[in-house]
Amino acid sequence: MNVPLAQKSPPRFGRVQTVLRPLLGAALGLFLFYRLYNVIIVQHEYGPETWTRLLIAGLIIGSVYALIAIGYTLVYGILFMINFAHGEVMMFGAYSTLFVFEAFKAIKVGSDPVLTFSNAYPVLAILIAFVVGMSVSALIGYLLERIAYRPLRKAPRLVPLISAIGASIFLQNAAQLLFSPQLRDVTNPEVLARGSGWSLMVNGSKVILPYTGVFTFVLSLILLAGLYLMVQKTKLGRAMRAVALDKKTAALMGIDVDRTISLTFFISGALAGAAGVMWGIHNGLVYYFVGFIPGIKAFTAAVLGGIGNLPGAMLGGLFLGVIESVGPAALGLDFQLKDVIAFALLIIVLIFRPSGLLGERLAEEKL
Amino acid sequence: MKATKLIVFLLVAALLVTACQNPAAPTAAPAEAAADGVPEICKTDAFGCAVFKPGDVLKIGMGAPMTGGDASYGIDISQGAKVAVQDFGDLNGFKFELVAEDDGGTAEGGAAVANKFASDPAVVAIAGHVYSGATSAAMPIYEKAGLPMLSPSASLPALTTMGSSVFNRIVFTDARQGPPAAEYLFNKLGIRKLAALHDGSDYGKGLAEAVVARFTELGGEVVVTEAITKGETDYTPVLSAVASKGPEAVYFGGYTAEGAVIVNQMKQTGLENVVFFGDDGTYGADFLSRTGANGEGAFATIAPIPADSPEKTAFDAKYLELFGKEAGSLSPYTWNGYDCTAALISAVKSVAVLGDDGSLYVPRGALVTAVRTLTEYKGISGTYSCDATGECNTLPPMFVVVKDGAWVPAP
Repeated sequence: MNVPLAQKSPPRFGRVQTVLRPLLGAALGLFLFYRLYNVIIVQHEYGPETWTRLLIAGLIIGSVYALIAIGYTLVYGILFMINFAHGEVMMFGAYSTLFVFEAFKAIKVGSDPVLTFSNAYPVLAILIAFVVGMSVSALIGYLLERIAYRPLRKAPRLVPLISAIGASIFLQNAAQLLFSPQLRDVTNPEVLARGSGWSLMVNGSKVILPYTGVFTFVLSLILLAGLYLMVQKTKLGRAMRAVALDKKTAALMGIDVDRTISLTFFISGALAGAAGVMWGIHNGLVYYFVGFIPGIKAFTAAVLGGIGNLPGAMLGGLFLGVIESVGPAALGLDFQLKDVIAFALLIIVLIFRPSGLLGERLAEEKL
Repeated sequence: MKATKLIVFLLVAALLVTACQNPAAPTAAPAEAAADGVPEICKTDAFGCAVFKPGDVLKIGMGAPMTGGDASYGIDISQGAKVAVQDFGDLNGFKFELVAEDDGGTAEGGAAVANKFASDPAVVAIAGHVYSGATSAAMPIYEKAGLPMLSPSASLPALTTMGSSVFNRIVFTDARQGPPAAEYLFNKLGIRKLAALHDGSDYGKGLAEAVVARFTELGGEVVVTEAITKGETDYTPVLSAVASKGPEAVYFGGYTAEGAVIVNQMKQTGLENVVFFGDDGTYGADFLSRTGANGEGAFATIAPIPADSPEKTAFDAKYLELFGKEAGSLSPYTWNGYDCTAALISAVKSVAVLGDDGSLYVPRGALVTAVRTLTEYKGISGTYSCDATGECNTLPPMFVVVKDGAWVPAP
């Protein structure tokens, strides 16, 4: 069970691989170099202001991916399962934002007929949106584990995976029935109005650094750093790492394994909720399917960075966001192909670094 | 040995194929053919008759996006159609009913809805589908079932060149919508550098290509053509790339869901002073509410809003009373929805035969012909005569622009 793949396969396969991989790598490298050189240097398609804009957009969406990817990685590290319903957990966070802001928009403050609560106390309104969104999502993450995964803890590995896909479809349909299938717009407090931001002058053109984007980026970095510290320094973090390493021994050392797993789902749910709130604030469109694509992308990001590896998930998320945004322009391709580029990148990374950019961190027991 | 096996196999296969084809032979008459009182026409009609016993309801099917970002189209057009059913939906005591099914505006949805209607013997005609992609997927299914279509809004030019005998439409085609849009951009707005975006759908892509072709012909420069991914909420990367080419206007072939996002994000990607020019898919109240102040000055081409007439006033009042909204505020196709349903009902009435047994017989093949040969049908939004390909409208589009938060006719 613990034998690595390479030893099981006949030696011929290994030899072919050692010859093919560098060849493939060289061909890919040449192709990429040729395209990039052609588009960026020879044709000079875009000026620095466009690259800056693309980079900004990529970093913002990348930070959202990173937050969701952390949830995949945390759960995978501990249970060795992929929580495919994680994107839907994020969707409920986005819906919470919608409802909180709608409620605050309806509350009038003082005698002024146009001053609403969300404009009078924007910080408070945003704070409440985060508290509500993160709690709702954390609760859903927790319930998911209790209802859909815990009864299957002893089952073969594929069973919880199917259960996760089922939970994902269930949550999507539940949202569709509860909140109607229409697209809804989130109305931000005026200080965070979408589209407004700091103006930078790059190469003589105005580049807007949107408030919502900076807010999203900075906050997700703070949350990620906080999580990293928590896992490394606190008692709960130590318990999580111990359970990830070896459940039986951890239990013998007096760690409540079930509670630790529940808390892991709770925390990853809260982070997905925060991502949902940021999605609501920055992108502003909410509907029942809104979590699906970011969920898949975040899973990709987690694999890209090395699943089970916290800094890997953060790096993978940011990397994927930037590649998606800059890639089509850099390669001179249609922007419709951005998903193709993202997933092609995943395949290439998996060919050359099967365990992701930063490497998997898996306990021996699970291989 | 092997050769004989192969021959046997081929023979069996051939047998199976022919056996399967037999039931689809076009002379299948209804089961009641032997009974008394069946009109002669049902025995000769290519698709047989739909039979309605007293008390049965004749169904007019409609496939439209009823959910999602483009739902306002389906909801609005089906509501217009419902008014038509109220106005004309009675034939010697047999009632008509509009059945609007959600096809999401997609090809898969269109085929699924079409299969559902084709298997329901009470469905006699289709007022739709609403979107071109769904329509082109649904057409072959109705062709087999002998169900005539009269679409209020599927404007892809190719739909009437596919040789379908059942598909007809009362909307102007994109061939009539695209080139005038290019001319308006070039002549009226004085645009010389255009960026063309589309959502990759049959409709959006076809429209963008028509605009690009005409605009280039006029001597303008198309600086960039880009396809976007449908259903996303962040188009800043593609808009940034478009901005770097310095266009004076952005033409978008697609629908409100993406159009509104694009308009909002143009402000933060260096396109704040660039004209947004949409199509009949980006018109409507949803666009206004979703873009707010960003939408000011956005153009669209729409089916001409009908001139005032007693019929239109009566319809508008009824629509307002029934649905609590101004007719035409959700989409420009309310009146088309009403017209195509009313025209279908009148075609059904012209071919239906009351049998001696008191049942109503609707010969399907004759109905298909009746819709295709619609002549001088006077509806709210125009007078329609269908040509041999099923094109029933030759009116040019109308230009509208957002001013002070409302769509108004463009100067």
